[in-house]
Amino acid sequence: MPTTVAHFDIEYTRYIDEDGRLVQALPTDADATTLKALYSAVVRTRIFDAKAVALQRTGRLGTYASSIGQEAVAVGAASAMQADDVLVPSFREHGGQLWRGAAPVELLLYWGGDERGNHYANAPHDFPNCVPVGSHAPHAAGAALAIKLRHENRAVVCIFGDGASSKGDVYEAMNISGDWALPVVFVISNNQWAISVPLRSQTAAKTLAQKAIAAGIPGEQVDGNDVVAVRAVVGAALQRVRNGGGAQLVEAVTYRLGDHTTSDDASRYRQDSDVSSHWHAEPVRRLQQYLTTAGLWSKHDEDALLKQLTAEIDAAADAYLATPPPDPSAIFDYTYATLPADLLNQKQAALASAPTRLAVE
Amino acid sequence: MPETTLVQAINLALARAMTEDERVIVLGEDVGKDGGVFRATDGLLARFGADRVRDTPLSEAVIGGISVGLAVSGFRPVAEVQFSGFIYPLIDQIANHASRFRTRTHGHLTCPMVIRAPNGGGIHAPEHHSDSPEAMFTNIPGLRVIIPSSPRRAYGLLLAALRGSDPVVYLEPTRLYRAAREAMEDDGKSLPVDQCFILREGSDVTIVTWGAMVVEALKAAAEWQAKGCSAEVIDVATLKPLDAETIIRSVKKTSRCVIVHEAPLTGGYGGEIAARVAEGAFSSLLAPVLRVTGFDTVMPLPKLENRYLPDAARIGVALDRVMAYA
Amino acid sequence: MTIFNLPDLGEGLQDAEIVAWHVAEGDHVVADAPLVSVETEKAVVEVPSPRSGYIKHLLAALHQRVNVGAPIVEFDDGTHVDSGTVVGDLSAKLPAAAEPAPTQTSPATTASVLASPAVRVLARDRGIDLSGLSGTGPDGTITRADVERVSSGLVAGEQKAGTPQALTGVRRSMAVNMAKAHAEVVPATVWDEADISLWWTGHGDITVRLVRAIAVARAAEPILNAWYDGQAMTLRTFDRIDLGIAVDFEGGLIVPVVRDAGARDMASLRAEIDRLKAAVRARAVSVADLRDPTVTLSNFGMLAGRHAALVVVPPQVAIVGAGRIFQQAVPGAGTVAFTHVLPLSLTFDHRVATGGEAGRFLQAMIDDLKQSS
Repeated sequence: MPTTVAHFDIEYTRYIDEDGRLVQALPTDADATTLKALYSAVVRTRIFDAKAVALQRTGRLGTYASSIGQEAVAVGAASAMQADDVLVPSFREHGGQLWRGAAPVELLLYWGGDERGNHYANAPHDFPNCVPVGSHAPHAAGAALAIKLRHENRAVVCIFGDGASSKGDVYEAMNISGDWALPVVFVISNNQWAISVPLRSQTAAKTLAQKAIAAGIPGEQVDGNDVVAVRAVVGAALQRVRNGGGAQLVEAVTYRLGDHTTSDDASRYRQDSDVSSHWHAEPVRRLQQYLTTAGLWSKHDEDALLKQLTAEIDAAADAYLATPPPDPSAIFDYTYATLPADLLNQKQAALASAPTRLAVE
Repeated sequence: MPETTLVQAINLALARAMTEDERVIVLGEDVGKDGGVFRATDGLLARFGADRVRDTPLSEAVIGGISVGLAVSGFRPVAEVQFSGFIYPLIDQIANHASRFRTRTHGHLTCPMVIRAPNGGGIHAPEHHSDSPEAMFTNIPGLRVIIPSSPRRAYGLLLAALRGSDPVVYLEPTRLYRAAREAMEDDGKSLPVDQCFILREGSDVTIVTWGAMVVEALKAAAEWQAKGCSAEVIDVATLKPLDAETIIRSVKKTSRCVIVHEAPLTGGYGGEIAARVAEGAFSSLLAPVLRVTGFDTVMPLPKLENRYLPDAARIGVALDRVMAYA
Repeated sequence: MTIFNLPDLGEGLQDAEIVAWHVAEGDHVVADAPLVSVETEKAVVEVPSPRSGYIKHLLAALHQRVNVGAPIVEFDDGTHVDSGTVVGDLSAKLPAAAEPAPTQTSPATTASVLASPAVRVLARDRGIDLSGLSGTGPDGTITRADVERVSSGLVAGEQKAGTPQALTGVRRSMAVNMAKAHAEVVPATVWDEADISLWWTGHGDITVRLVRAIAVARAAEPILNAWYDGQAMTLRTFDRIDLGIAVDFEGGLIVPVVRDAGARDMASLRAEIDRLKAAVRARAVSVADLRDPTVTLSNFGMLAGRHAALVVVPPQVAIVGAGRIFQQAVPGAGTVAFTHVLPLSLTFDHRVATGGEAGRFLQAMIDDLKQSS
């Protein structure tokens, strides 16, 4: 009779349900200040997101990937990190980038088509957005290896989506991270859609967290719309991976309430009624409900917060719109450490024939 | 002075770079205990330890990607790809990331990493071990592509690559690993990148080549000297960024150009050089610019390999053709 | 519904201020997604969308006070335009210039010069025109040595020869045709003289009499009025004579053709010959008048010469030459008489005609020319 040589369990964590009620006692470090800070962050993310979409709709921003409905994943994960940790995002982690110090104007510059938006003045450890899906997972392993080689008390958080979890790069990164005990937490922001491909068509695996088992690292699930839970689970994972504890995978289950990008029309491939039902579970409302019910949040607080955040985001949009495009020489100047003669010739020829006045929007 | 083979020269360069800069990390399959399947990293594990000489799990994509992460984080990884046919999974990490980090962050983040791989055939190897994919890399902006042709140049150019701050694809002519040997010193002197080397001066035709074909070109040049053809032989060495000026200056002197490469004809890097010559030395040309290359076919398995590889005789045919134009 | 009004917010509230829009015009919303946040005295209320659809217009501005029941959003019930992409913008229009309609490529009208760039530079520096220069290089390309040869021919030597001029037009045609004739034909020539004293008075229409004589001779020996195909070795004799008449003019040699010369009377012959000559002088002779002679006459005697071995131009097999009329002393019984003599030459292609046939043809001509009319 065969013996079982391995089996696995995947655990699921949540603290606050869709209606804003506690299902278990909050973690001890989730005090009122922390909760309000988290609420402020998810609201800020949403206001930023709406502004970005509005700018795109009026032709002043390029294609933009909205994170509406997923704010709790990036904010929760980022809030669990140390300042000198490293965030390696995909392209939908705006809330996490903002928490860690990226300026709204920097994000707008990126989505507006300006390379200067790939540098975060106040988040110097973080990697910029990564568009080729899942290809940043090995970068995260490399950044974690660098930390390990330097014997630092730092860790890496790498966030990618359910689509990315099908990719070889992601498995390879988890595999080598487990093999070399690299201090990295891989977070799957499972919004259940890869453009038009629903989760059930993405993989036969019952959970995405169990893909960690194949790589020999622990994997668990968390309610991705409960920012408190995300923060707690990622925080605990980070504790374990620091100082040689090895890599981890956290699958945060959420839902993409908007289109894949501003050029996409999700009504082509999914039922509006399915989406509607997910609005009940969205992260901002449930946290607001909990805070209000717990007596921690008033209309006055809400008013003040909206005014403050709206002003901040509006100012960032103004700053972005007022930023002149980079000098065309930037096309060439950063290609190599020192511009080779061959490329210098091209640059001189190209700039000599350039219009003296750049087209004004 | 004892003779050093090309692969030994690479080993010496790696060791020297690792000695002078603790940020240099060697990684790849079988590079540690086994010293690399071609022995390029022989002895490095014992000397520098398991932190800095790392046997990776099997996955070229993650070898490339983890090198990117390491490089962006301030290390200088030099990753080995075991055989030329296995380099293709790395193209994603090279084209989408390594070559772009500097430009997409306006220099705030950079990616100083070197990918080493054997290149070319002529070693009677099984399938997929004899490719010459250098042309693919030359079309990627922000990348440096280097192919040495002698121990001294392998040593000096690899040192330059490891000391530089840009991503480099460093392709080593497999069949010269042991066959190319010369007396050289482990003196830590690098050679200039982005520059051609004129290996032989001549006045009637400029032969432009790189890698293992340099040997065949020099052989053809010597043999055709007796026929009254004085051939100048240029080793391109750094394919990208290209030192077109040296080539053009030479063709202006000789009026004829023959380009030799092992990789297939169509889309091969010879086309780029021919275009540069046509543009820069047009009025000097007496004869059409000819290319002597591999055929537009897969490199055959060892039984027919020799019929595929360009050699001095085939180069000579091209020399005769261009010399007919007076 | 298309227009959505601010719903009853409860608790007897009459109006509210718009504090945040959660959608923009053009957005797609689903039912229950937040549409707008409004502020009352009691709370900030998030108003969910009543339906799925596309937002056409936002009917209230930010910070505007809106009454309960007043319109706030208009939904778009028209067809939504598919962007056709998930990134960027796909323009549905090309820039103004349309692709031109395909045209037939016209054939090259001039032969191009084969010379490498370096040779062209050299020729330009030496002031040499490469057109017409033949090259000794591969595929007929001109080499530096070819240029040098021409160039040194100009520079060195005491006699300053004229710059080599390429042959064009009629001269070029003659050079080509004569070379071709020489390569194919095996010529033989027979000479004789016709006594024309009975009708020659110092002037008369020689050409017309010659044409008539040729017609008579053709009847005697038709093989001289024929075309020969040397490749196929086939001979085509003609009953009709299309007689080429060599005309000398400043450009060189032109041979217009008198059609059916044998059937014409003298007046018609003269008229036609005159017409053709006038056309040649005016450089207006038509292609039709130059085509396909079956035999040729060269009345070179109008200039100089008595007898000549002329060139038979294939596919013809014969050419008649008439030299300058001269006087001959003929001894008689105790006296000397003077006759007028027209020298004749008949060059024929010996692949086709025998000496006998040529001789009989010539004799037939002589007999006719002797006639007084």
